[in-house]
Parts: sequence; C-alpha cells; structure tokens
Amino acid sequence: MAPDLGNTQKWMQAVILHPGSDREAVASPRARKLVPASEFPRLIRPSRTLDSFDRIGIYRGMYLARLQEALEADYPGLAHFLGPKRFSDLVTGYVDRYPSRSYTLNRLGDRLPEYIRSRPGIVRQDFLYELARFELLMSRLFDAEESPVLTPEAIGAVPPESWETARLKPVAALAVQALRYPVGAYLEAVRQGNPRPATRRKNHWAVVYRRQYALRWLDLSRPAYRLLDALVNGVPLGEALSRVLRGGRQQVGEVQLFSWFRGWVTEGLFQAVELDDPA
Amino acid sequence: MGRNRWNLPDLGFGIGLRTVHYSYILANHPPIDWFEILSENYMDTGGRPLYVLDQVAERYPVVLHGVSMSVGSTDPLNLDYLKKLKALADRTRAHWVSDHLCWTGVSGINVHDLLPMPYTDESLRYTIDRVKAVSEILESPLVLENPSTYLEFGNSTWSEVDFLSTLAQEADCGILLDVNNVYVSCFNHGLDPESFIDRVPADRVVQYHLAGHTHKGTHILDTHSDHVIDEVWSLYRRSCQRTGGVATLLEWDENIPSFEVVHAEALKARRHRGLPEPDHTRAYGT
Ligand SMILES: [Fe+2]
Repeated sequence: MAPDLGNTQKWMQAVILHPGSDREAVASPRARKLVPASEFPRLIRPSRTLDSFDRIGIYRGMYLARLQEALEADYPGLAHFLGPKRFSDLVTGYVDRYPSRSYTLNRLGDRLPEYIRSRPGIVRQDFLYELARFELLMSRLFDAEESPVLTPEAIGAVPPESWETARLKPVAALAVQALRYPVGAYLEAVRQGNPRPATRRKNHWAVVYRRQYALRWLDLSRPAYRLLDALVNGVPLGEALSRVLRGGRQQVGEVQLFSWFRGWVTEGLFQAVELDDPA
Repeated sequence: MGRNRWNLPDLGFGIGLRTVHYSYILANHPPIDWFEILSENYMDTGGRPLYVLDQVAERYPVVLHGVSMSVGSTDPLNLDYLKKLKALADRTRAHWVSDHLCWTGVSGINVHDLLPMPYTDESLRYTIDRVKAVSEILESPLVLENPSTYLEFGNSTWSEVDFLSTLAQEADCGILLDVNNVYVSCFNHGLDPESFIDRVPADRVVQYHLAGHTHKGTHILDTHSDHVIDEVWSLYRRSCQRTGGVATLLEWDENIPSFEVVHAEALKARRHRGLPEPDHTRAYGT
C-alpha cells in the first residue's frame, strides 16, 4: 500500500536530512516507520542508469552542499579558519541540530554561534564563538533598515541649551561591540588574502555600521566605546559625557570627547537628535 | 501581446537579477527588456538588495520568481510569506509571480530544494486547492514552473506534463515552461522531451526559462552554470511555434559570467524565435 502524500513527504525529508550514508538514511528508524525498507525500491523507481539509492542520493548530496554554500557566504571567516573539512563537519552537525525552519536561507545561520559555544571538542572555541557572533552581526546589519542620516542643518537647528538633555538616535544598521579577539581585523585580513591573520586574545572595542549600503567598522578606545555605547542606548548627551569624564582609568579631555562626537556624526552613525518635549 | 488566456504581456528577452551584476546594472542601465527577481532575496532586507531592486523596478519591467512557496507541501501555507510576497509584488509592480510545482519541506522544516511531487490523483486534488488559495491571496493567477527532477515515485499514475497541465486548467494558473528542465527531467527519466512540449496547454504558458546544465553521464543536474545546449534551443523553437511570443528568461546561477555574456545568451533566443538581431550589442561598445 503506497503511503499518502503527507507520509511520502515526511519520509523523503527524513531520508534527505539523515546525516549518514544513503543506505543508513533509508534504513533509519524514522524513515522505516513511514516506508518499510522493503518498499523503498517500489516507492523510488530506478532509472536506466541509477538505482533507487543513487536517485534519492542526488537530493541528499545537494541538500548539504546547498546549506554549506549558504553558511559559507554568511561565515567566510569561520570557513577560512576551519578549512573545508572541518567547516563541512561543523555544518553537518549544525544543520542536523538546527535544520532550516525559515523560507529564506538568510536565517539559516542564526544559531551557529550558539551551536559553536555549546558543541564539545571545538578547537579555539572562544575565538570561533566570537568570530561567528561578529559575522552574524554583520549579516544582520547588512539587512537592517536604511535610515536617514543626521545632517549639519539638523544639528544647527538644535538650541544650544537643549544639547544637555538631547538623545541621539543611532542609524538602524549600527552596533557597538566590546570584543575579546581581533575578529574585525581577522575578517579584513581574510578578505585581503592573508592566509594566517592574528587570532590572539586582545580586548578591544569597535562600532560596526553601514554607510552607503557598505558595512564598515571603526576601532574605538575604551572611553570612546563607553560614550558611544551610552549614546546608542539612549542616555542623554550631557549624562553620557559626564559619565566618561568622571569614570574610567583613562583621562579624557573635553576636546577629545567633542572630536569623537563630531567624527561619529560625520561618519553617519546617527539619524536624529531627539529633544525633550518643550511642554 | 502574448496569446495566453490572461493577455499577460510578452516582455521580450530578460535575465535573472543577480548580485554580481548589481554595480554594472546601476552604472550602465543596460538595454535589456526585463528582469526576473528571486523573491526571497528581497523580502526581509532593508539594505543594498532592496535599494538595487527599487532602482531596477523603476526602470525595467520585472517578474517575481520564488523558490519557497512550497505549494505542494502538506504543511499549511505560510501566510506570512505570502503576505510579504504580495507586498513585494506590489512594490515592484511585478507583472506576475511564479514558483515551482514542488514542495520544499514538511513539519515546519525547509530543505531549500525543489522536491518532486508524486503524480497521483491525491496530490493533484490537493495541489489544485492550494494553488487556488495562493492565487486568491496574491490576487492574480499564480504561475508555476516545471522543476528539474531526479527521481520518480513508483505510485505516480500521471505523467508530469499531464499532471501539470491538468493542475493549470483546474486551478486556473499559468505555466512557466522551463525548457531546460523539460530536457533534464526527460533525460533523467528516459522520457521524450518533444512529446512533453507538445502536450503543454499553449494558452497557459506565460513565461519561458532557458538555462545550461551539467551532464554527469548517468544523469543531468540543473545547475544553470553554462550556455544553453542546442537540443534545448530546438525544444524552445518547437514550443514557441505553439505558444507564439512569450516572455523569455535566461537563468545563470553558477560561474556567472559578465552581464554582457548572460544578456547575449538571452538574446540568442530572438534568433530562435525568428526575430532580427537587436542593436543591443552596440550599446556595450563591442
Ligand atoms: Fe527555471
């Protein structure tokens, strides 16, 4: 008795997703429950040149190849660090654990950082976790909404006495990051063909953002990071500035603060100045 | 005007919009008739892809082509997906929206492949209802493409072409006839591609796909990685005699060459339709 449409689809998917060989996949408990192995040659007709295993094997091979290609596009740094064999093993384990549940391949890699952190036996796990997190962030910022950019006219229109309590609204495609490894520099080096970029631990700070649809990042000093992080989290300008002037081991002068601020505005990191309601 | 029953226009000879050609297209505004857009690539982005798409849709006729509708799946229709698809079609003023006669996953999982249907009465009845539901949501007749397939189900009681034709008639949908896929599937299953072409209801064909493939000896893979082979051109000529002028699109997805090369491949279709060579090559300064 032939399985109905729903069972046929569940069976075929179970066989495609099984990480073992074609024969193991057809004989797996999940597949066998839907279609007994003895029925298999009748369900999938052999062709003149291929038997039933070869034919379902084409779909199985294409499945992993396609997902690997998609993840490699989103995680070029990770793929570079691991090399083809280890990256492919990682992908096989990952898609077995987290098969795609979205209509778009763009979301396939969303849980890869989490998977790297939780999977035992990964070399340089800390570094790879941070690298993967950074690459995921880059693809999110790539797709973020485009925002208007704060203009000199808009800045000029802010009454001087309002700056103290003004909030700066960052563009949507922006993230301020405290990092433990030089992952931005690593990705840049990979892109430029440097085969062995540095991966040693190094605390540093950066802002990643999009300008004219291209992703960029700026390295920040620790106090600059603290200021920008406060601003993008909605802390009023006066309070954010005094926090940085007060705290921290590094001494920062006001001139320095304003020069950072001007640089960030010029770089298009903000979209608007939000003033307190005069009422 | 095409001769299809909805009077959907013959858009001429287009190519699929691909990332590697973005800069060229924006800088040169090449004289191409139309573009086909891969729907899923533009649904959830506010970045460069959407910016480029808006520029392209402003200047050229476009058609949406998706791979994730999963119209043949026994999972419920993804209404969120269909809503976004409709919004994208409205935004780009797409002439029509197409996807494939296939399923892409079940139980909430997406395999991201165009998986074959068993051609049974049960799946025909099921798919007819689904296509009708989708057309209602999209407020226009869905257009379905015949995919390349690599296996056949032993319980199929219909041929692929009769299944597709009956589905199109009963669900009142259009057909995107991928001539390369006809060739690939017929080779893989030992069938005659000419009799496939001859059985397609001509008045439902609103678009053609042409592409190259990879011959593995024992089977052919639909890779879109090369020029169109002579046998496929000959099937295209044969089909055009039945359908008249229908919007024709060249797909190239692997080892994608320059825009000019892909466009020149699309323009070869003019010759096969008996139309004069265009002046377009001059625009490229060649
Ligand atoms: Fe196609």
